[in-house]
Amino acid sequence: MHKLYFLVAILFPPSVLSGQEIAMSVSEIASFKEQVAVSSKSTTTIVSDFVQYKHMDFLANDIETSGKLAFKAPSLVKWEYTEPYQYSVIFKEDKLLINDGGTKSDVDIGSSKMFKKLNELIVDSVKGNMFDEDDFTISYTKTSKGNKATFKPRDKKIEGYISSFELFFNKKDGAVQEVKMIEPSTDFTRIVFSNRVLNSKVNDSVFNN
Amino acid sequence: MTRFLIISLLLIVCNSCALKTTEGLRAVEVTNAEVANPYFSNTDIDYVYKAKIEIYGKYVGGILIIKKVEEDSHRVVLTTEFGNKIFDFLYKGDSFTKNFVLEDLDKKIIVNTLQRDFKLLISERSKVEEQFATKGQQIYKSKSNNRFNFYFFDEKSVILKRIIQTSKRKEKVEIVFTSKRNDLAQKIRINHSNIKLKIDLNYFNKN
Repeated sequence: MHKLYFLVAILFPPSVLSGQEIAMSVSEIASFKEQVAVSSKSTTTIVSDFVQYKHMDFLANDIETSGKLAFKAPSLVKWEYTEPYQYSVIFKEDKLLINDGGTKSDVDIGSSKMFKKLNELIVDSVKGNMFDEDDFTISYTKTSKGNKATFKPRDKKIEGYISSFELFFNKKDGAVQEVKMIEPSTDFTRIVFSNRVLNSKVNDSVFNN
Repeated sequence: MTRFLIISLLLIVCNSCALKTTEGLRAVEVTNAEVANPYFSNTDIDYVYKAKIEIYGKYVGGILIIKKVEEDSHRVVLTTEFGNKIFDFLYKGDSFTKNFVLEDLDKKIIVNTLQRDFKLLISERSKVEEQFATKGQQIYKSKSNNRFNFYFFDEKSVILKRIIQTSKRKEKVEIVFTSKRNDLAQKIRINHSNIKLKIDLNYFNKN
């Protein structure tokens, strides 16, 4: 029996078992928040590639889609999926402008409080500026993937759709590297950013449908 | 004269109440006890489709995932392109479980219609009640509660081309498959005759 414990201890040191997540100290949280605030303040545009993995427990493989993201301050966002299909959605004022492989439509989200909240979340999570304690209980940890902030919605209605958001930040520059949205069922969507270019010229016409 | 009018009127009425699905088909002897829909029958495959849905002039896009999870069970899930679930259905034998439906959609008439459409789409085996033939096609009729399902197979390739669900007199739903293989449908169109609902599915999974 002791031998078995020994073997387990060698094969799986505690840091691996806990996913190498260590809670941040109060001062670490403060400096991390400061880093993200500075980085998001100086960001006027973001252009990035992304890969999205939709995980559902009953599937053999995650569903993989990918494309490009464009952001322009203060709140223009375009998600453009290019593989394996063409689909784009632009968040603009109180509207979602959708182009689904040539079929264009728009959705008025002005009247929907929940959609507004979700839109804010998306804009803020792209910028990394998402530390609103009124809407979320937030916890901060250090992981092998970078600094991690976990957001649990306080709103019961939103909680019915998303049990938590996880944002992974680059330790060096405070940029968002990965977003994970976890459903109450524990199925999740993971979006991983790459080839991120900050503050390049992005024309407003990018955000027209 | 009056008699002639009545007879012709009766003829017209009767003609319009005959089911148009079987028009021009010739009834033949039943040779297959069962008819099989092969498109969602492999437990190893994640059937993942880009979905385009038109409902009463409104347009909704998404990803439709169908998975045979056990010998008698299928999961049918629609998500947005971002991966958020719109609905999540479980069919096990004859039972149906609504795991999740987005609040705005969670209305009896909508859920019942979707439930029935996807039941028709995934149902694997049904007992053949009648059999028909026409040029290049074999057609099998089966019964499902108070409705009838007609399965149209290409005679040569034995590829399932269409399923039409009818009441006694009227066509209700038509599913059209576009497929090069007899076990996987690349494109699927679900079209309703009595309500304005159209679903287009395009297979995109790599595996």
